[in-house]
Amino acid sequence: MAELTLVEAINRAYAEELRRDDSVFLVGQDIRGGIFPHTMGLVQEFGPERIVDTPIAESGMYGVAFGAAQEGFRPVVDFMFGGFSYVTFAEASVTTGQYYFLHGSQHPLPLVITAAVGTGMRLANDHAMSIHGTFAHHPGIKVAMPSTPYDAKGMMKAAIRDNNPVVIPWHMGLMQERGEVPEDDYIVPLGKAAVKRQGSDVTILANSVQLKHALAVAAKLEGEFDVEVIDPRSFVPFDMETLLTSLAKTSRLVIVDEDWESGGFAATVSARVMEQGFDLLDAPVIRVTLPNLPVPGGYMEEYIAPNPAKIEAAIRQVCA
Amino acid sequence: MNLNKQQMRILYRNLVRADHLNRMMYQRMLQGKLIGFYHPSDGAIAPGVAAASFLNKDDNLSPHHRGHGITHMLSKGIDIKYYLAEHTGKDTGCCGGRSAFHFSFPEHKVYMMSGFIGYNFAPSVGWGWAAKRRNLGQVVMNCSGDGSYGQGRAHEALLMATNWQLPIIFYCENNGMAIHSEISEMHPTEDVSSLAQGYGMPAMVIDGQDVFACAEAALAAIEHARKGKGPTFVEAKTLRIKEHDMGTPDLRGWEARSEEEKLALMQRDPLVLATTRVLAEGVLKQDAIDQLHEEASREVQEIEDFADSSKIARPSEEQLLAAAFAP
Repeated sequence: MAELTLVEAINRAYAEELRRDDSVFLVGQDIRGGIFPHTMGLVQEFGPERIVDTPIAESGMYGVAFGAAQEGFRPVVDFMFGGFSYVTFAEASVTTGQYYFLHGSQHPLPLVITAAVGTGMRLANDHAMSIHGTFAHHPGIKVAMPSTPYDAKGMMKAAIRDNNPVVIPWHMGLMQERGEVPEDDYIVPLGKAAVKRQGSDVTILANSVQLKHALAVAAKLEGEFDVEVIDPRSFVPFDMETLLTSLAKTSRLVIVDEDWESGGFAATVSARVMEQGFDLLDAPVIRVTLPNLPVPGGYMEEYIAPNPAKIEAAIRQVCA
Repeated sequence: MNLNKQQMRILYRNLVRADHLNRMMYQRMLQGKLIGFYHPSDGAIAPGVAAASFLNKDDNLSPHHRGHGITHMLSKGIDIKYYLAEHTGKDTGCCGGRSAFHFSFPEHKVYMMSGFIGYNFAPSVGWGWAAKRRNLGQVVMNCSGDGSYGQGRAHEALLMATNWQLPIIFYCENNGMAIHSEISEMHPTEDVSSLAQGYGMPAMVIDGQDVFACAEAALAAIEHARKGKGPTFVEAKTLRIKEHDMGTPDLRGWEARSEEEKLALMQRDPLVLATTRVLAEGVLKQDAIDQLHEEASREVQEIEDFADSSKIARPSEEQLLAAAFAP
């Protein structure tokens, strides 16, 4: 088994799916050369007909994926930075989300939206914002996000094979994260959470870079608190069963989400836990999120982003 | 490109059918027998008939929203009864009664309608990209109005279609009005198709009241695209006799359009003009024309009977939730 970085794992997923299925192709802006390394080497093997660069025209670029998906292709459309998807958000969220259902559930729209997201590069809001919560708000679109190189390869392959629009953002803070990635063909099914650490005092639900932080905090607090850590992996569909099973054991929940406090994934999960698992709880749910501010750039980014100190404080508060 | 008599008869027949169906929709809206709204196509049916009558089944078509695409769809061979059933909320509708006025006939490559004017430009690039990649001679007929060219998406599609020499026909049905605003106020040049020059795309301006002129232009553009020679811009200058949307005021700017103005527009009704021509050129005799009208009336009756005898779609919330994602 090879040890790969997260972007190398995504690259493997692309290459394997491009080889397996002639209807798969990638479209984006400068993905042949590459702003990020996840598409490196693909144009040399698959040619510019399948690794497609467009002008800086997000609607037209997205239209290539959307129209080709209606025509039976399986495109992956790369927005480079997640914030750039907002340039054509009417198409990417509304038109995409409604296409299958509103038109009578007769014709699938198999496409993957991907982009780099997250804090850590000090690039400020439009280059740092998360998109998973906003896409998850729009019905008809699946949303998942890898936290490990293993998941990155398997999740991207699952998304490419899915008959629905699937959004797979990946966090820039994990670009060089290394991990074991099998060379064989496997998928990570969309909609299955992963219990990353067993514990009995408190459950932390955390994803991508914040999962890494949560696991570090859990290790640090060993002996003081027995922390269970769950990676949701998929936001739509969301694996509520795994979370409720965990809460039946721990009765306490901290949700860490690198999205805004208002209207985000953490808010949704918190409300669902109140509706479906209120009797399991011994304390109110605590969320560790971005405050409701446009993400500042420069050194200020780290003043507001969720981090290990904030996660530890939340654990102490919910267990008090 | 000269049309033969058989082609002229096809166009004339579809024009008669489009005229009858537009009247049906108008009447049903007045009678409260249509869900939502209706944007009448009076005076503006020639460009759609011409654009769609000679497409192949595997050519992509995005209809103009005026007349809710009925003109274009019937000309492409789509049975409109499934659309009327949809527009009346019935379970036999083309979208199972879920969509109000939206349509979807994927097997005819009329994939969707969106409430966003100009939605057609971005997916057209994808359809054109797919057609070029398959190299089977498929074309994309992208119909929309003058107003839709206000969208930045129109620029993106024109740019990418020309860059990649995609088989797309940008078919602008210019009726000179976007809701209440005159195109002269919203667009800086007389012809919307002058945009094409900036992309190095061939363009034609034609009389949108003359279904035969429209068809000659459409056929030339279709042939050009089928041969892999890239996109064409076709601008059909048409008009709008009735209001933008039934029940809203019929204005030019912020003042009511005069009856004289509308009477003058009616003189240029495409069916009146086409009838004069087919009679003069011996393409059809009066009794054949009368028969086409009788057939169209029967078609309207069958469409209405189908929709009216269908049941209102009443799925449960659970059934709808189960249909949200493709298996």
